Amino acid sequence: MAVKQFNLASKQRAERKLLITVAEWTEDGSQVREILGTRTPDSSIEYNPNIETSTDILGINYTDINNTQPQQDFDPYLVLGGSKLGAKLNDIRRRNALSELNQFTVYIITAFVGNATDGYEAERHSNCTITYNSIGGESNVNFPISVYFSNEITTGTVNELKDDFVFTEDVSV
Amino acid sequence: MARDKNEAIIQYLLQCQQIQNSPLYFNFVNAKDNTNQILTTAEDSIFGETYVDGSTLRRYTFTIVTFQSITENAVVKDGQHPNENVEDLQSFQSLIDWIAEQSNKHNYPDFGDGYIIDDVSTTTAMPRLDGVNTEVTPQLAMYSVDIVIDYLDITNTVWL
Repeated sequence: MAVKQFNLASKQRAERKLLITVAEWTEDGSQVREILGTRTPDSSIEYNPNIETSTDILGINYTDINNTQPQQDFDPYLVLGGSKLGAKLNDIRRRNALSELNQFTVYIITAFVGNATDGYEAERHSNCTITYNSIGGESNVNFPISVYFSNEITTGTVNELKDDFVFTEDVSV
Repeated sequence: MARDKNEAIIQYLLQCQQIQNSPLYFNFVNAKDNTNQILTTAEDSIFGETYVDGSTLRRYTFTIVTFQSITENAVVKDGQHPNENVEDLQSFQSLIDWIAEQSNKHNYPDFGDGYIIDDVSTTTAMPRLDGVNTEVTPQLAMYSVDIVIDYLDITNTVWL
């Protein structure tokens, strides 16, 4: 497939809000989704590449990337009224049901590629893990979380930027 | 639907007895006994952070000024005769106490859709004496307090 260009004017910066992480899980047989990052001022997907570099006798370096282990932290991740994921994780926390933490599907939507008509580029990571790291804080309850992406990726597009988007897989030609 | 924030603030303050019982002016000073005036002191401005979802923390600041007649009488030291000036100050103090009470109850102005109020608070725990005018009858003291409304503006988020 041809590489799609950014839907930005020349030299225009992409606003941070156009890189979207969405968690999805099943609850009582229904699919539930929630955008991550509400009240989080700064969050990046860290790819944590496992790199091996060797040098031959001519002094030439060869670098191999064995794998990446993408991870995204959300700190603060405040306990907020209406937060479905917060409530879900808190329920897991109080039952210490750790095996339920690795049943998430996570979408990374790059809304700076594509448009509302043709869809926005996205990737779906199946079987991801979302962990809670602590709970507490100062004036508001902070419940910071980390998303561990599975790299079990399906690329595609989403038709709109809201919880009930439809994900369409890319078709190889 | 978003509302005019100043209208929302007026409606909010009208729930307070201290405001109800006196004439209330907006961005106008009527320096007469027992009047209250709302003075906008700062623009509705970004003071904090922009979050990764595009929402922004904002702060709206305004001042309430009140004029109270004052007495030249010295404080009677027998502890049985209250001083009028102390009572008047206490009257304005009740507004500050009301704001704190509403904050505890999470009773906030309604800015409409797209805005989530985090808190309403006063910058001081008691009124500020801005001045005393002895050239009018009755003589007037001018008290004020700054009120800040911290709120989240979600009108610019990308996720519907």
